[in-house]
Amino acid sequence: MINSSSLADNIYWHYTPNINYSVGLDYQKDKVSNDYFPSARFTYLINRKNTEKSQRNLYFKTGVGLNNSNNHFYSLAGDWETRRFFTSFSVKQSSGAGYDMFEQSAKVGVAPYLGDYGDLHTWLMLETKKNDLDNKQITYPLLRLFKGGALIEMSYHKKTDWDVHLMYRF
Amino acid sequence: MKNSLLFGLLTLSTAIYAEHHDTGSMHSHEGHIHNEMVDGKTLDVDAQRFDTFMIGIDNNTIVVVSVQGMVCDFCARGIEKTFSKDKRVSKIDVDLASGKVLLAFSEANEIDSADIRKKILNNGLNTTDIQIVGK
Repeated sequence: MINSSSLADNIYWHYTPNINYSVGLDYQKDKVSNDYFPSARFTYLINRKNTEKSQRNLYFKTGVGLNNSNNHFYSLAGDWETRRFFTSFSVKQSSGAGYDMFEQSAKVGVAPYLGDYGDLHTWLMLETKKNDLDNKQITYPLLRLFKGGALIEMSYHKKTDWDVHLMYRF
Repeated sequence: MKNSLLFGLLTLSTAIYAEHHDTGSMHSHEGHIHNEMVDGKTLDVDAQRFDTFMIGIDNNTIVVVSVQGMVCDFCARGIEKTFSKDKRVSKIDVDLASGKVLLAFSEANEIDSADIRKKILNNGLNTTDIQIVGK
């Protein structure tokens, strides 16, 4: 998984031994300080509810810096989706060099058409974020496309500029 | 003699009726295949999709798996990947719209419903029904 925004570039690799958890490594380059922050991550599926037309998930996520264990985060994230609609939320507490930050985000999306398996799938989304450092809420549109194992997500906001997220699932 | 003949005809017709239902001979109706199984359940599969799936595998036994939670391509891809590793399975079709997975087995005696359910569960999804359609 590769993520690029105005503040940082990340490359994230994770392995899912079973549906209950995944372990991963994240390598982040801070574009402001030009420092590198490798970290280890762990994701645990707290709850999943499958129905005929939907799936709902609740995850606990945590990560710790490999250079400095004072850099760490933990978060709770959830999503609910059908083939047509998508909603998700995340609350995240991060600590780094001289700061603590609490961030909240939510996303809603709609698929303009329902593709079959193997087709190009498109989601039109809206994401909103707020953290307690600058205490400002930003909301921006997001386009998600995926086909096969590849996913690309692009968003733009005048404050944060472009945010691009690439993922490939092997 | 008359009674023997009547008994013979009755036995033969019962056998033909039972075979028709056990092997799941199908009829198409408004784009779907409705097949009354011996257990009273109805198999509802998209007829065109089923016909396309059957090309080249006429002698296979088909397993129709109804899956809950299969709402995205990634989920479907995981299922296809899992069953493609199973050498007993000769063909796979994943239908996101209906939440059904079609599996073709060349040998009917190799079908293991518990194993199919386990593989679906390992992909984070749930099996609600498994129906076997004979050769």
